[in-house]
Amino acid sequence: MQELVLNQPVSTARSELVREAAQADARREFEERLAECGQLAFRVARAVLRNTADAEDVAQEALLRAYQSFERLRDRSRFNGWLVRISFRLALDRLRSAKRRDRREALWSQPAHLPPPATVEDVAASKQFQGHLERALEELPEKLRLVLLLSAMEGHTIDEIASMVGVPLGTVKSRIFIARKKLAEKLRCYANTIRTR
Amino acid sequence: MLCEHYKDALIEAAASGAAPSGELREHLAECASCRAVFGQEQSLFAAIDTGLHAAANAKIPLSLLPRVRARLEEVATPRLGWVQQLVFACTGVVLALVIFLMARPHRAAREELAKQGPVTVPASMPPAKSVNREETSSEGTQIAAIPVNRSHTLRDSTSSPSAASSNPEVLVPPDEREAFARLVGVLNERSDLGASLLAKVPEKEDGLAAVDPLQIPDIEIKPLEGTETETSHGAGEKH
Repeated sequence: MQELVLNQPVSTARSELVREAAQADARREFEERLAECGQLAFRVARAVLRNTADAEDVAQEALLRAYQSFERLRDRSRFNGWLVRISFRLALDRLRSAKRRDRREALWSQPAHLPPPATVEDVAASKQFQGHLERALEELPEKLRLVLLLSAMEGHTIDEIASMVGVPLGTVKSRIFIARKKLAEKLRCYANTIRTR
Repeated sequence: MLCEHYKDALIEAAASGAAPSGELREHLAECASCRAVFGQEQSLFAAIDTGLHAAANAKIPLSLLPRVRARLEEVATPRLGWVQQLVFACTGVVLALVIFLMARPHRAAREELAKQGPVTVPASMPPAKSVNREETSSEGTQIAAIPVNRSHTLRDSTSSPSAASSNPEVLVPPDEREAFARLVGVLNERSDLGASLLAKVPEKEDGLAAVDPLQIPDIEIKPLEGTETETSHGAGEKH
């Protein structure tokens, strides 16, 4: 009886130690990936939010969530896709709440300043065109937007994007094509300024 | 009208980034306006790609990774604290066990202590059969026999359970056992003391306490002083 009482905590402690060791391994592996996946999370968030500080917060949150579930992830090769989806979702949530806040504030403050008129010749490279583009990007459906952003990021092939998003290669290609066409439709009205180059 | 026919193909060719196919290529070679439109579309898609590249490849802030590492530390710290608590608890249990084992008298000393009893028993005395006090005629002998039996049961309890079960076992704290052994030693030296301790004390008859009946003298009721004067005075006032 006495032996049982003593053995039970010992076995529990042993299993705890094993668990702690597994956690330590997972953490080591996560930290090895941190530089790469931190950049990925930040870029996805930044592309959605268009604000560095907010994107940094979102990336941090996404990385923490990813870390907390990293040990349970059996197929570690799917980690990047998983992180991309977490970052994208968190960034969208933040963007929506920021929009709601801005709308509330606009109702009260009634801002008077309008965007400056287009005077720059090289509009494509200008901040104004970038603004139009980012607004047009925001209006894209989420599944098109994510694929288009990932394809625009450095260092990701179409195959990698397909495995990240979890869709076939052909679907990725068609989504990129449709997304670019939609963007062009929205931005064609600014083509006159581009033509002046 | 002819150019409208090529409009979609022209946009799709610009969107895909591929070179125009045969028929479209021939038309572009003939039609200057469609060539211009195609050039515009190519510029538009190039601008979109440039803008997308800029939007999607923002430079990562230097503060991000240290912040994440700091948060990871915060997340991991409670787990380590829990392990430390477990280690402290285990250490405490082990220490308590060690203290308990050290506080217990040594087994050899116990056996030696138990042996002291039978040694003092005179050889002429008959071996005891029972521990029951009421049945004993020579109490001193019986008392001396108790530790003998106990010492046997102590030894036998570990070796043969049947022997242990034949003699009743009583768990006695070490200090009590020692005191008992001393008492037995003293009793063996002075048998008269044992006899006097175990001698039946003549019982006193517990009669009911006789209570004398209360004798209450007759109470003589005397009028209170001044009552008469008050009544007479009150009567006087009435009149």
